Amino acid sequence: MPNRKGKFRLLFFVNIALTLLAIYISLTNGAFDMTVLDVIRTLLRIDPVAEYDLVIFDFRLPRIVIAALVGFGLGVAGTVIQGITRNGLADPGILGINAGAGAAIVAFMFFFGGQFMDASWYSIMAMPLFGLTGGLLAAGLIYLFAWRNGALDPQRLILVGIAIGSGLGAVALYLSLKMNPNDFEMAAVWLTGSIWSANWTHIAGMLPWLVILIPVLMRKVHILDLLQLSEESVKNLGVPVEKERNILLLSSIGIVSACVSVSGGIGFVGLMAPHIAKRLTGIQHRYVLPLSGTIGMLMVVAADFIAKTVFTPIELPVGIVISIIGVPYFFYLLSRRKK
Amino acid sequence: MQSKKATSMIILAVSPLVILLTILLSIHYGAKPIDAGTIYQAFSAFDEGNVDHQIVMHSRLPRVLGALMIGAFLAISGALMQGMTRNYLASPSIMGVSDGSVFAVTLCMVFLPSATSVTMITMSLIGSALAVAMVLAFSRLLPNGLTPVGMAVIGTITGTFLSSISAAISTYFQVSQNVSFWYNARLHLLEPELVKLAVPFAIVGIVIALLLSKSITILSLGDEVSRGLGQRTVMVKVLATAAVVILTGISVALAGKIAFVGLIIPHITRFLVGLDYRWIIPCAGLLGGIFLGLSDVLSRFMNSPFETPIGVVTAFIGVPFFLYLIYKRGGGKHA
Repeated sequence: MPNRKGKFRLLFFVNIALTLLAIYISLTNGAFDMTVLDVIRTLLRIDPVAEYDLVIFDFRLPRIVIAALVGFGLGVAGTVIQGITRNGLADPGILGINAGAGAAIVAFMFFFGGQFMDASWYSIMAMPLFGLTGGLLAAGLIYLFAWRNGALDPQRLILVGIAIGSGLGAVALYLSLKMNPNDFEMAAVWLTGSIWSANWTHIAGMLPWLVILIPVLMRKVHILDLLQLSEESVKNLGVPVEKERNILLLSSIGIVSACVSVSGGIGFVGLMAPHIAKRLTGIQHRYVLPLSGTIGMLMVVAADFIAKTVFTPIELPVGIVISIIGVPYFFYLLSRRKK
Repeated sequence: MQSKKATSMIILAVSPLVILLTILLSIHYGAKPIDAGTIYQAFSAFDEGNVDHQIVMHSRLPRVLGALMIGAFLAISGALMQGMTRNYLASPSIMGVSDGSVFAVTLCMVFLPSATSVTMITMSLIGSALAVAMVLAFSRLLPNGLTPVGMAVIGTITGTFLSSISAAISTYFQVSQNVSFWYNARLHLLEPELVKLAVPFAIVGIVIALLLSKSITILSLGDEVSRGLGQRTVMVKVLATAAVVILTGISVALAGKIAFVGLIIPHITRFLVGLDYRWIIPCAGLLGGIFLGLSDVLSRFMNSPFETPIGVVTAFIGVPFFLYLIYKRGGGKHA
């Protein structure tokens, strides 16, 4: 379908353009205003000024890059999780995967508090791994309790997610209270979903996960399309459903964990982005997946800008901005479900 | 109507003893253990100059009484909600009621910084009512909203929304620290004055609950049956909701969000005493009080000498139970 492809391309580039616009606004505005020229000059290294360098490269840019990566990751992972579970209300946050990854990372901060403080390469590279363990634990529990008669019961799925989310949240809270005050503050801010101390090392820590796993998912888009059919017919087509589903789930949990390890549990992005993408471009995952990623990217970059500027000088956790926007959208989605 | 009258009688008869024991345990254990003799003296011959006596009367006693009361209120609220909506997942925390209270209390702290305790309690009640109204309205309006799953999801999401807005407001006006007291449910910061103030509200709520208990039993058979038996269904539901709002509202005003008590205690009570709410409501109240009182004692051991928020303790006990319920009942329809 050349038409659809054309439409998809257009939408994809419009999204990228909007994200760039958001990035531009985010780069130039803040406690320290800069002109476009200043920004471009700093980025292109034309007569660099030390002050501008500091603001752009040490403060604003890493944060924006993280917001974009996290948004992209969550959008993609949300699409895959909705696809696997065939449940339009599934979202890594609602299913407790965020909480699982979060609890594991808080545990990591708790046991290696000192090392964490110096933000060494070792600890930053290890954090997503810990997150992955927690995310897998949460997913394992979900499977254990929501799996009935060889299928994920969509009703149960969300309830189990809510339960696991609050249980692991309690674990995280418990551990964070046992920490020393410095670590605690970090854990607390970070648990609400906040891009608190963006630096290039964090980006380096999460980037490999996205670079490796997103292509894996992109190669599996046709499987995601097939999974929307009934279990029976997919099996009749000779697709090893279980195996494919596990690969998809593992990859998306890996992405979510990498995101959670730098930005905490940001909910609702994985819920909203895929829905918006599907509305715009239809149901083919070949298009939905990348589009959902760019929509997530735009959402988090914009929300982070709101979070850091609207209430200046106080910063809001970006997770809170997203849930204030996300909840009404969630209700809108619920209202469109069939009786 | 199956009801296990004997078990109910046993619970009613044994509870006072267990409650007394809980009170003693709770007064005894803490950062500084206080022996039985001193506790006795504190009650019989209170000495203003004795630090131990001060601790007993001004810190530990209000705390344990608060825990007992809050446990009872939450359990009764949960029992009422489960009976009324015939929804086995209905409970104050899952339905976002507590978040409504937190929301109102946050507003109160920002815009009425000099508010008295009475105002705070009233605001907390208004907040609970707001959340209940929102959740019930959405449940009616949205497809599948009245199923257990639907309502739980709507409640959780409404709760997320209200608590996000509270967080934004409290961050903006820099009252986060004060508000976090309400969130983290620290019973050890309980104010004795507040406990006293809560009593009249509690009496009203509990009396309504007890008076309605028979009607709730009928309601739990279904709206049709209930109407067929000539019951004024709407009236009963409105009154029961009012009781829920009052009891949950004061609980949050006293100690913040404490999850799962209102969910699990009514189930355990129904298992023990049967389906007659004339027994369920008083027994749930007693068991809830004891449960929270003992959880509070436990919370002091989990990370001594530091306090662990009681919500963490109840979550550790409540989550496995919640999962068990889901596993057993799944998306089933009725309580």
